[in-house]
Amino acid sequence: MTGPKASVYEVMAAAIARELRDGELWFLGMSTGPQTILLLTRIPIVAMSLAQHTHAPNSWMLVAGWVMNPDVSKVPTRMESEFGTSLGEWPCEAYNNSLTMSYVAARHEIDVGFGSAAQVDKYGNCNTVAIGDYRRPKVRLIGPVNQPGHFSLFGREIIVMPHERRNFVDRVDFASGAGYLDGPGARERHGLHRGGPVMLLTDKAVFRFDERTKLVRLESVHPGMSLDEVVADTGFTHDYVPERVPVTPSPTARELTLMREVIDPSGAMLGRDGG
Amino acid sequence: MNEPTVKLKTLAEAAALIENGSRIHLGGMAVHNHPMAFVHELLRRGTRDLTVVSHVSASDVDMLIGAGCVRRLEFSYVGLEEFGTAPCFRRAVQGGELELSEYSEPVAFERFACSARGMPFFTTREMMGTDLPKVNPDIREVSDPFGSGVYHAVSAAEPQWVIIHAALGDKYGNVLFFPHRQLPEDLDLTASRATRNLIVTVEQIVPHERVRQLPYLNLIPRFRTTAIVEVPYGAHPFSCLHVYDQDREHLAHYAEAGRDPVTFRAYLERYVYGVKSHDEYLSLIGAAKLARLRQVGGAL
Repeated sequence: MTGPKASVYEVMAAAIARELRDGELWFLGMSTGPQTILLLTRIPIVAMSLAQHTHAPNSWMLVAGWVMNPDVSKVPTRMESEFGTSLGEWPCEAYNNSLTMSYVAARHEIDVGFGSAAQVDKYGNCNTVAIGDYRRPKVRLIGPVNQPGHFSLFGREIIVMPHERRNFVDRVDFASGAGYLDGPGARERHGLHRGGPVMLLTDKAVFRFDERTKLVRLESVHPGMSLDEVVADTGFTHDYVPERVPVTPSPTARELTLMREVIDPSGAMLGRDGG
Repeated sequence: MNEPTVKLKTLAEAAALIENGSRIHLGGMAVHNHPMAFVHELLRRGTRDLTVVSHVSASDVDMLIGAGCVRRLEFSYVGLEEFGTAPCFRRAVQGGELELSEYSEPVAFERFACSARGMPFFTTREMMGTDLPKVNPDIREVSDPFGSGVYHAVSAAEPQWVIIHAALGDKYGNVLFFPHRQLPEDLDLTASRATRNLIVTVEQIVPHERVRQLPYLNLIPRFRTTAIVEVPYGAHPFSCLHVYDQDREHLAHYAEAGRDPVTFRAYLERYVYGVKSHDEYLSLIGAAKLARLRQVGGAL
């Protein structure tokens, strides 16, 4: 199969789209910083739209909870903010806060959410609060925002973050998102009977969580990345590299055409050159 | 009919209502609808020892922290969205200078709805498994009397003063809201119902007859309003939804200036302490810039 080469962001969007199922309710919240807006807002929006154009016509996309099932090709901004006067002109199927202000999250009706963090640990716990001691932190971060609910009320959380060594730690300094806490059975002991992270996606690789040990393990490396390079940039200290590490599947020709010609023809979401 | 009380005040008169040590909520969310002209006036007055009860804050709260006006912050987020973390908040917390009471975002929202319902607390399970209850003594464990297990109890927001910025209102304190509200506006409405001490700054005061023509848009009726103030571009550098967008250039400038106490001080001198009024501030920002932020049609 030959065809145009996919950018890493298109590879990531397709990987997320494959994770999304028909008939689901998806929620996307706010991002802080330009890189996080690309990874955690724009890429998942393209992925959700891709899934809706392929296998998930009965899904429902809640962008920041208020723009529902938008026409991504007509996005009036580059998602610098999750709200806005200009963003209010985005063509969509529903526009209001009635779902998220009251019930769908609290009733555990959201199937998939997207999260990011300054630190993620081997059990998928996430930290957006503080690096170092909470009372006198080395670096104070933005705060928990909606991360606790993503990991306690939603069905599955997809973590999307930049692949930098310091982001992957043995134990987070502060858990604002409860992954598998300290191992098997820990979520249940805290009354968390569903939900939790299922995928850790970076600009270099895909990680998943072992069903038995709950430990994060490397699933695949993106096309063009070497395993050595990915390992060198990953700070986890446990054995997270299985014997065989495949390459993350590239988008199909149809998926690429949909992303480039139907979903994001202007490049507002993924950039014309993927950048 | 006798004329109702005219609640139209100047910015200085309204800001003078806030005493040192007050427990206040500043409306808006993320980079939208914060009552910035009012914040500037508080800074010029030097109001201090404030407890700010918020949810998703930005440089509205960050500036007050940087100027040393805030003693305690109850919140979920202080940041500048695309422009990163809030610089003064970060510095103050790292220096151990600020008392924090931290919650997840929907819980921080719900605290205002709880006050609006007249209830002292509510229960939630969404922060289970996180470290928030370990560091925040205001998150307490309670058991369901009906037997379903353990929950977190969280207190109502109970702000003494709520200050919000909206598009349109009349001199009696009625406030009109667009029908296609976004979350920051819905949160402001909820906050307006969480206190009897409400200050509203608006882009424009419209004739009372306009309110009577659009009574279904009057979501803050005048009996709830303590004072109303006309301040065009009163949310700058943030957006006032349906009227103008956020000033991204200025927010980037703030994010940079705030990183160092010296440059932050220079920012305050130039944009807050160095101007006598909101009109002078707007002149400093410039008519061309403000005109470009305007989104005529956003309300249609």
